[in-house]
Amino acid sequence: MAEKIKDAEDRLLESLFDSEPVADDGFSVSVVRKINRRLWLRRLTLPIAAVIGGGIAFKPLAGLVAALSNLSSLIPEAVINSAASSVPQLQTVVLGAILLAVGLVGMRMIEE
Amino acid sequence: MSTSADNELVARAVSGQDTAAFGELVRRHQSHVRNFLRKLAGDYALADDLAQDCFLHAWDKLQTYSGRGTFIGWLLKVAYTTFLQSKRKSKRYAEILESAGQVADQEERSTVQPVDELSDLDKYLAVLTEEERAIMVMSYACGLSHREIGDATDMPVGTVKSVIFRGKEKIRNSFEIKDHKHG
Repeated sequence: MAEKIKDAEDRLLESLFDSEPVADDGFSVSVVRKINRRLWLRRLTLPIAAVIGGGIAFKPLAGLVAALSNLSSLIPEAVINSAASSVPQLQTVVLGAILLAVGLVGMRMIEE
Repeated sequence: MSTSADNELVARAVSGQDTAAFGELVRRHQSHVRNFLRKLAGDYALADDLAQDCFLHAWDKLQTYSGRGTFIGWLLKVAYTTFLQSKRKSKRYAEILESAGQVADQEERSTVQPVDELSDLDKYLAVLTEEERAIMVMSYACGLSHREIGDATDMPVGTVKSVIFRGKEKIRNSFEIKDHKHG
Protein backbone atom coordinates (compact mmCIF):
# COMPACT_ATOMS: atom_id res chain seq x y z
CA MET A 1 0.00 0.00 0.00
CA ALA A 2 2.72 2.41 -1.03
CA GLU A 3 0.43 5.28 -1.95
CA LYS A 4 -1.58 5.20 1.27
CA ILE A 5 -0.69 7.14 4.36
CA LYS A 6 -1.68 4.81 7.15
CA ASP A 7 -3.19 6.29 10.27
CA ALA A 8 -4.11 4.52 13.51
CA GLU A 9 -7.54 3.68 12.15
CA ASP A 10 -6.03 2.06 9.03
CA ARG A 11 -3.73 -0.05 11.19
CA LEU A 12 -6.67 -1.08 13.38
CA LEU A 13 -8.71 -2.03 10.32
CA GLU A 14 -5.77 -4.02 8.96
CA SER A 15 -5.59 -6.00 12.18
CA LEU A 16 -9.37 -6.51 12.11
CA PHE A 17 -9.34 -7.72 8.50
CA ASP A 18 -6.30 -9.89 9.12
CA SER A 19 -7.02 -13.61 9.19
CA GLU A 20 -5.17 -16.90 9.53
CA PRO A 21 -3.74 -18.26 6.25
CA VAL A 22 -5.93 -20.98 4.74
CA ALA A 23 -4.16 -24.36 4.57
CA ASP A 24 -3.84 -25.80 1.07
CA ASP A 25 -5.16 -29.28 2.04
CA GLY A 26 -5.03 -30.62 -1.51
CA PHE A 27 -6.73 -27.55 -3.01
CA SER A 28 -3.94 -26.77 -5.50
CA VAL A 29 -3.61 -30.45 -6.47
CA SER A 30 -7.32 -30.68 -7.26
CA VAL A 31 -7.17 -27.46 -9.36
CA VAL A 32 -4.21 -28.81 -11.38
CA ARG A 33 -5.96 -32.18 -11.80
CA LYS A 34 -9.05 -30.41 -13.19
CA ILE A 35 -6.91 -28.37 -15.60
CA ASN A 36 -5.08 -31.49 -16.85
CA ARG A 37 -8.43 -33.23 -17.41
CA ARG A 38 -9.70 -30.25 -19.41
CA LEU A 39 -6.50 -30.14 -21.47
CA TRP A 40 -6.88 -33.81 -22.38
CA LEU A 41 -10.54 -33.33 -23.29
CA ARG A 42 -9.62 -30.37 -25.49
CA ARG A 43 -6.87 -32.35 -27.23
CA LEU A 44 -9.18 -35.26 -27.93
CA THR A 45 -12.15 -33.17 -29.06
CA LEU A 46 -10.73 -32.18 -32.47
CA PRO A 47 -9.61 -35.63 -33.69
CA ILE A 48 -12.81 -37.28 -32.39
CA ALA A 49 -14.94 -34.60 -34.08
CA ALA A 50 -12.94 -35.06 -37.29
CA VAL A 51 -13.48 -38.84 -37.27
CA ILE A 52 -17.22 -38.53 -36.47
CA GLY A 53 -17.64 -35.76 -39.05
CA GLY A 54 -15.79 -37.84 -41.63
CA GLY A 55 -18.05 -40.82 -40.86
CA ILE A 56 -21.20 -38.70 -41.21
CA ALA A 57 -19.99 -37.00 -44.39
CA PHE A 58 -18.76 -40.18 -46.06
CA LYS A 59 -22.12 -41.42 -47.40
CA PRO A 60 -23.38 -38.14 -48.95
CA LEU A 61 -19.88 -37.47 -50.26
CA ALA A 62 -19.80 -40.90 -51.93
CA GLY A 63 -23.22 -40.13 -53.48
CA LEU A 64 -21.92 -36.83 -54.77
CA VAL A 65 -18.90 -38.53 -56.31
CA ALA A 66 -21.17 -41.12 -57.94
CA ALA A 67 -23.39 -38.36 -59.38
CA LEU A 68 -20.32 -36.55 -60.67
CA SER A 69 -19.05 -39.73 -62.29
CA ASN A 70 -22.38 -40.04 -64.12
CA LEU A 71 -21.84 -36.58 -65.46
CA SER A 72 -18.47 -37.65 -66.73
CA SER A 73 -20.17 -39.32 -69.70
CA LEU A 74 -20.74 -35.82 -71.01
CA ILE A 75 -17.03 -35.02 -70.88
CA PRO A 76 -14.68 -36.30 -73.59
CA GLU A 77 -12.80 -39.52 -72.66
CA ALA A 78 -9.36 -38.00 -72.96
CA VAL A 79 -10.15 -35.28 -70.35
CA ILE A 80 -11.54 -37.85 -67.87
CA ASN A 81 -8.51 -40.07 -68.16
CA SER A 82 -6.09 -37.25 -67.44
CA ALA A 83 -8.18 -36.01 -64.46
CA ALA A 84 -8.53 -39.49 -62.94
CA SER A 85 -4.81 -40.00 -62.98
CA SER A 86 -4.10 -36.69 -61.16
CA VAL A 87 -6.90 -36.68 -58.49
CA PRO A 88 -6.45 -39.31 -55.72
CA GLN A 89 -9.34 -41.58 -54.90
CA LEU A 90 -11.78 -40.60 -52.12
CA GLN A 91 -10.94 -43.64 -50.02
CA THR A 92 -7.28 -42.66 -50.03
CA VAL A 93 -8.13 -39.07 -49.00
CA VAL A 94 -10.27 -40.22 -46.02
CA LEU A 95 -7.64 -42.73 -44.95
CA GLY A 96 -4.98 -40.03 -45.20
CA ALA A 97 -7.06 -37.63 -43.06
CA ILE A 98 -7.59 -40.27 -40.37
CA LEU A 99 -3.89 -41.15 -40.37
CA LEU A 100 -3.02 -37.45 -40.08
CA ALA A 101 -5.38 -37.00 -37.10
CA VAL A 102 -4.00 -40.12 -35.35
CA GLY A 103 -0.46 -38.98 -36.10
CA LEU A 104 -1.09 -35.53 -34.60
CA VAL A 105 -2.51 -37.05 -31.39
CA GLY A 106 0.42 -39.47 -31.24
CA MET A 107 2.92 -36.62 -31.63
CA ARG A 108 1.24 -34.70 -28.80
CA MET A 109 1.36 -37.77 -26.56
CA ILE A 110 5.06 -38.29 -27.31
CA GLU A 111 5.71 -34.61 -26.58
CA GLU A 112 3.93 -35.00 -23.21
CA MET B 1 5.98 -13.46 -2.36
CA SER B 2 8.12 -11.93 -5.08
CA THR B 3 6.53 -10.57 -8.24
CA SER B 4 9.45 -11.67 -10.39
CA ALA B 5 9.04 -15.29 -9.26
CA ASP B 6 5.32 -15.05 -10.05
CA ASN B 7 6.07 -13.60 -13.49
CA GLU B 8 8.56 -16.38 -14.18
CA LEU B 9 5.98 -19.02 -13.25
CA VAL B 10 3.36 -17.29 -15.42
CA ALA B 11 5.78 -17.25 -18.36
CA ARG B 12 6.50 -20.96 -17.90
CA ALA B 13 2.80 -21.79 -17.62
CA VAL B 14 1.84 -19.77 -20.71
CA SER B 15 4.70 -20.72 -23.01
CA GLY B 16 4.70 -24.47 -22.42
CA GLN B 17 1.17 -25.05 -21.06
CA ASP B 18 3.09 -26.04 -17.91
CA THR B 19 0.44 -27.06 -15.37
CA ALA B 20 3.10 -27.73 -12.71
CA ALA B 21 4.18 -24.06 -12.86
CA PHE B 22 0.55 -22.99 -12.61
CA GLY B 23 0.12 -25.41 -9.68
CA GLU B 24 2.93 -23.57 -7.90
CA LEU B 25 1.11 -20.26 -8.52
CA VAL B 26 -2.07 -21.76 -7.06
CA ARG B 27 -0.14 -22.98 -3.99
CA ARG B 28 1.37 -19.52 -3.48
CA HIS B 29 -1.88 -17.57 -3.75
CA GLN B 30 -4.74 -19.91 -2.79
CA SER B 31 -4.85 -18.63 0.79
CA HIS B 32 -5.32 -14.98 -0.27
CA VAL B 33 -7.93 -15.84 -2.89
CA ARG B 34 -9.88 -18.15 -0.58
CA ASN B 35 -9.77 -15.66 2.30
CA PHE B 36 -10.94 -12.88 -0.04
CA LEU B 37 -13.86 -14.97 -1.33
CA ARG B 38 -14.76 -16.24 2.14
CA LYS B 39 -15.07 -12.68 3.41
CA LEU B 40 -17.05 -11.68 0.33
CA ALA B 41 -19.41 -14.67 0.17
CA GLY B 42 -19.69 -15.33 3.91
CA ASP B 43 -20.03 -19.05 3.11
CA TYR B 44 -16.83 -21.12 3.27
CA ALA B 45 -17.97 -24.01 1.06
CA LEU B 46 -19.31 -21.67 -1.63
CA ALA B 47 -16.17 -19.53 -1.40
CA ASP B 48 -13.91 -22.57 -1.95
CA ASP B 49 -15.98 -23.66 -4.98
CA LEU B 50 -15.67 -20.12 -6.35
CA ALA B 51 -11.92 -20.18 -5.68
CA GLN B 52 -11.62 -23.35 -7.81
CA ASP B 53 -13.60 -21.68 -10.60
CA CYS B 54 -11.43 -18.58 -10.23
CA PHE B 55 -8.20 -20.54 -10.77
CA LEU B 56 -9.71 -22.38 -13.77
CA HIS B 57 -10.67 -19.01 -15.31
CA ALA B 58 -7.21 -17.69 -14.46
CA TRP B 59 -5.62 -20.61 -16.35
CA ASP B 60 -7.80 -19.88 -19.39
CA LYS B 61 -6.98 -16.15 -19.32
CA LEU B 62 -3.35 -16.39 -18.19
CA GLN B 63 -1.97 -14.99 -21.45
CA THR B 64 -3.90 -11.75 -20.79
CA TYR B 65 -1.79 -11.07 -17.67
CA SER B 66 0.65 -8.46 -18.91
CA GLY B 67 2.98 -8.42 -15.90
CA ARG B 68 1.94 -4.84 -15.16
CA GLY B 69 0.94 -4.78 -11.49
CA THR B 70 1.14 -7.74 -9.14
CA PHE B 71 -0.10 -11.20 -10.03
CA ILE B 72 -2.23 -11.35 -6.85
CA GLY B 73 -3.93 -8.10 -7.95
CA TRP B 74 -4.78 -9.67 -11.31
CA LEU B 75 -5.90 -12.88 -9.59
CA LEU B 76 -8.22 -11.00 -7.23
CA LYS B 77 -9.76 -9.28 -10.25
CA VAL B 78 -10.54 -12.74 -11.68
CA ALA B 79 -11.88 -13.83 -8.26
CA TYR B 80 -14.12 -10.76 -7.97
CA THR B 81 -15.48 -11.28 -11.51
CA THR B 82 -16.12 -14.97 -10.73
CA PHE B 83 -17.97 -13.97 -7.55
CA LEU B 84 -20.14 -11.41 -9.38
CA GLN B 85 -20.95 -13.91 -12.17
CA SER B 86 -21.98 -16.57 -9.66
CA LYS B 87 -24.11 -14.02 -7.81
CA ARG B 88 -25.86 -13.10 -11.06
CA LYS B 89 -26.42 -16.78 -11.89
CA SER B 90 -27.88 -17.65 -8.49
CA LYS B 91 -30.11 -14.58 -8.64
CA ARG B 92 -31.43 -15.70 -12.04
CA TYR B 93 -31.90 -19.24 -10.64
CA ALA B 94 -33.90 -17.86 -7.70
CA GLU B 95 -36.03 -15.80 -10.09
CA ILE B 96 -36.78 -18.88 -12.21
CA LEU B 97 -37.76 -20.88 -9.11
CA GLU B 98 -39.93 -18.02 -7.92
CA SER B 99 -41.68 -17.71 -11.27
CA ALA B 100 -42.26 -21.48 -11.18
CA GLY B 101 -44.00 -21.04 -7.81
CA GLN B 102 -41.33 -22.68 -5.71
CA VAL B 103 -39.69 -21.27 -2.63
CA ALA B 104 -36.04 -20.57 -3.18
CA ASP B 105 -34.52 -22.03 -0.05
CA GLN B 106 -30.98 -21.57 -1.31
CA GLU B 107 -30.09 -19.04 1.36
CA GLU B 108 -31.44 -21.27 4.12
CA ARG B 109 -29.37 -24.19 2.86
CA SER B 110 -26.11 -22.28 2.84
CA THR B 111 -23.80 -22.30 5.84
CA VAL B 112 -25.06 -19.23 7.68
CA GLN B 113 -23.47 -18.62 11.05
CA PRO B 114 -25.69 -17.82 14.05
CA VAL B 115 -25.52 -14.15 15.06
CA ASP B 116 -23.75 -14.81 18.38
CA GLU B 117 -21.00 -16.77 16.57
CA LEU B 118 -20.22 -13.95 14.16
CA SER B 119 -16.77 -12.43 14.53
CA ASP B 120 -16.31 -8.67 14.78
CA LEU B 121 -15.19 -8.64 11.17
CA ASP B 122 -18.38 -10.37 10.01
CA LYS B 123 -20.40 -7.71 11.80
CA TYR B 124 -18.37 -4.90 10.23
CA LEU B 125 -18.68 -6.43 6.78
CA ALA B 126 -22.45 -6.78 7.25
CA VAL B 127 -22.95 -3.00 7.31
CA LEU B 128 -21.12 -2.57 4.00
CA THR B 129 -22.48 -2.96 0.50
CA GLU B 130 -21.04 -5.74 -1.65
CA GLU B 131 -18.82 -3.31 -3.55
CA GLU B 132 -17.59 -1.63 -0.37
CA ARG B 133 -16.91 -5.04 1.17
CA ALA B 134 -14.85 -6.20 -1.82
CA ILE B 135 -12.81 -3.00 -1.88
CA MET B 136 -12.23 -2.90 1.89
CA VAL B 137 -11.13 -6.57 1.89
CA MET B 138 -8.79 -5.97 -1.06
CA SER B 139 -7.31 -2.98 0.74
CA TYR B 140 -7.09 -4.09 4.37
CA ALA B 141 -6.94 -7.90 4.15
CA CYS B 142 -4.99 -8.36 0.90
CA GLY B 143 -2.88 -5.21 1.06
CA LEU B 144 -3.58 -4.08 -2.50
CA SER B 145 -2.79 -0.49 -3.46
CA HIS B 146 -5.56 1.87 -4.58
CA ARG B 147 -4.34 1.58 -8.16
CA GLU B 148 -4.40 -2.24 -8.01
CA ILE B 149 -7.91 -2.16 -6.55
CA GLY B 150 -8.92 0.23 -9.33
CA ASP B 151 -7.57 -2.22 -11.92
CA ALA B 152 -9.32 -5.15 -10.23
CA THR B 153 -12.70 -3.46 -9.99
CA ASP B 154 -12.51 -1.33 -13.16
CA MET B 155 -12.86 1.85 -11.11
CA PRO B 156 -10.88 5.09 -11.13
CA VAL B 157 -8.49 5.49 -8.18
CA GLY B 158 -10.53 8.46 -6.91
CA THR B 159 -13.66 6.32 -6.70
CA VAL B 160 -11.75 3.57 -4.87
CA LYS B 161 -10.57 6.13 -2.32
CA SER B 162 -14.07 7.47 -1.77
CA VAL B 163 -15.53 3.96 -1.41
CA ILE B 164 -12.91 3.16 1.25
CA PHE B 165 -13.63 6.46 3.00
CA ARG B 166 -17.38 5.68 2.96
CA GLY B 167 -16.77 2.14 4.24
CA LYS B 168 -14.62 3.36 7.10
CA GLU B 169 -17.23 5.92 8.00
CA LYS B 170 -19.99 3.30 8.05
CA ILE B 171 -17.94 1.03 10.33
CA ARG B 172 -17.03 3.97 12.56
CA ASN B 173 -20.67 5.08 12.83
CA SER B 174 -22.06 1.59 13.42
CA PHE B 175 -19.57 0.28 15.97
CA GLU B 176 -17.37 1.43 18.70
CA ILE B 177 -14.14 -0.25 17.58
CA LYS B 178 -12.25 -1.53 20.62
CA ASP B 179 -11.00 -5.04 21.26
CA HIS B 180 -11.83 -7.61 18.59
CA LYS B 181 -11.97 -11.28 17.65
CA HIS B 182 -10.14 -12.13 14.44
CA GLY B 183 -12.30 -12.83 11.40
